Amino acid sequence: MRSTILRAAGAIALAACVALPALAQPSTAPAPADLAKEQQQRQLAQPGNNSPVWKEVRSGVPQTTSLPGRETNVLIQPEGQTWRALRVPIATAGGALLALVLLALMGYYAWRGPIGLHGTPTGRQIERFTPAKRMAHWAMGISFAVLGVTGLVVTFGKSILLPLIGYTLFSWLATLSKSLHNFLGPVFAVALLVFIVLFIKDNIPRGHDAQWLAKFGGMLDRSGKTHVASGKFNAGEKALFWILVVVLSIVLVVTGLVLNFPNFDQTRATMQTMNLIHMIVGLIATAMACFHIYLGTVGMQGALEAMRYGYVDEQWAKEHHEYWYNDVMAGKVPRGSEPPAPAGVQHRPA
Amino acid sequence: MARMKFLCDAERCIECNGCVTACKQEHEIPWGVNRRRVVTINDGVPGERSISVACMHCSDAPCAAVCPVDCFYKTEDGVVLHDKDLCIGCGYCFYACPFGAPQFPQAGAFGQRGKMDKCTFCAGGPEADRSEAEFKKYGRNRLAEGKLPACAEMCATKALLGGDGDVLADIYRERVTVRGRGGEVWGWATAYGPAPGKGQAPAAPAQQPGGQKS
Repeated sequence: MRSTILRAAGAIALAACVALPALAQPSTAPAPADLAKEQQQRQLAQPGNNSPVWKEVRSGVPQTTSLPGRETNVLIQPEGQTWRALRVPIATAGGALLALVLLALMGYYAWRGPIGLHGTPTGRQIERFTPAKRMAHWAMGISFAVLGVTGLVVTFGKSILLPLIGYTLFSWLATLSKSLHNFLGPVFAVALLVFIVLFIKDNIPRGHDAQWLAKFGGMLDRSGKTHVASGKFNAGEKALFWILVVVLSIVLVVTGLVLNFPNFDQTRATMQTMNLIHMIVGLIATAMACFHIYLGTVGMQGALEAMRYGYVDEQWAKEHHEYWYNDVMAGKVPRGSEPPAPAGVQHRPA
Repeated sequence: MARMKFLCDAERCIECNGCVTACKQEHEIPWGVNRRRVVTINDGVPGERSISVACMHCSDAPCAAVCPVDCFYKTEDGVVLHDKDLCIGCGYCFYACPFGAPQFPQAGAFGQRGKMDKCTFCAGGPEADRSEAEFKKYGRNRLAEGKLPACAEMCATKALLGGDGDVLADIYRERVTVRGRGGEVWGWATAYGPAPGKGQAPAAPAQQPGGQKS
């Protein structure tokens, strides 16, 4: 059956190719110039019959208008309906994905609890992140978090927050969200580039990453006895770097910038496409970031302090990033500067 | 209640842009915003047609469906209006609308567009009818004054009609009936009389006594 159809289609295509050059008025396809010609002929054959004109009404093809402005000469743009229709399933699926991730993380926390240290801390500190790296991380991370939350407010606020807080309050919140989103976007873009430059070297995949992936870093072992050695960053962190930071975030930045600067007169079709990609990628990126935020805060002891103050205990380094620890001990990679405060004293009081 | 509608009779529209001007003047619309526009299809080709288009006050309005703050509402006359106090200027209505009706005072960097502005069917906004605040934000509320939209009232050829859909349907049906029976005989010639020297010449002037002299 299918082959018959294919053969028939092939025959028609072939016939069309052969016949095309022979015809003076080749196409019946509604290309605008052809429709205009068709209209001209129709006018002679059947004066008053305007069907070629009406075929063009919904085509979205630019026509003529004396009013200035982008796309004022398009009578009806049909893509708007497609955009409207596609937003709903994207938002629904993305929202469900986000809810599932949050539930899964809560379930994981209830099942496993925070991942702690097995040995006792040595009190000797190794510098894990230089101030420049920490600054780049937090500039990117905080702007990402704000962008994520404000994006969610604009996407889901109408169905979730609006019934709770009412029109006026929600409109203020949405205005604030929109402005924060639009002004922090470019900040995120700059921080992202700096972050990628500073972190790319330690995130290049190595052979030992396969072991980590095979055991999923021992994260599914409730007793925590599975030990997987890894470099400065483990395979999970590297996957996060390449997927979330490099691929998804760059797509978000590019699509976001197109949407953020309508002063360059982009067409509606361009902005609709960019908006859909931005929505899909944004929701996936937010869901992915939740895993990182979980492990970086409540999920693992010592992780937040490492990025906050820049230092980790030798024991922590040995248990979580053994190859890196070995390299530091062997002097292959610099130990970094000494911590500002004596070991054990976390910080001066606030 | 009446269901308000616009109808543009393309057989009559002569692309004078009088509707656009009437609208701008009536509502004191700022520079750069046009709530209505006229588009000519196949301009310069015999059989070209012009259509005046603005907000069509859809039953299932895409703008209202995609608005993240739900600032659109429908009056009991079926007119789609919006609340500029709630509008955040995101531009989603402008992406969704097939007719290009939503307008923004600017298209600035960082998505700074200002509050959306569109045709109100001369029905104002959520403020008190005919109040100063309503006029400043949405323009004149002619419906509250018992008048129909300025663009349609001003249309010289009565191509653009605005008002109760049932009445418009009757007017248009009558026009179509007078023009002829089927699609093949509709057209400019039947609406405005045939070109000189071609069949069906109007018989009236010749039959009127003394009609030739005056």
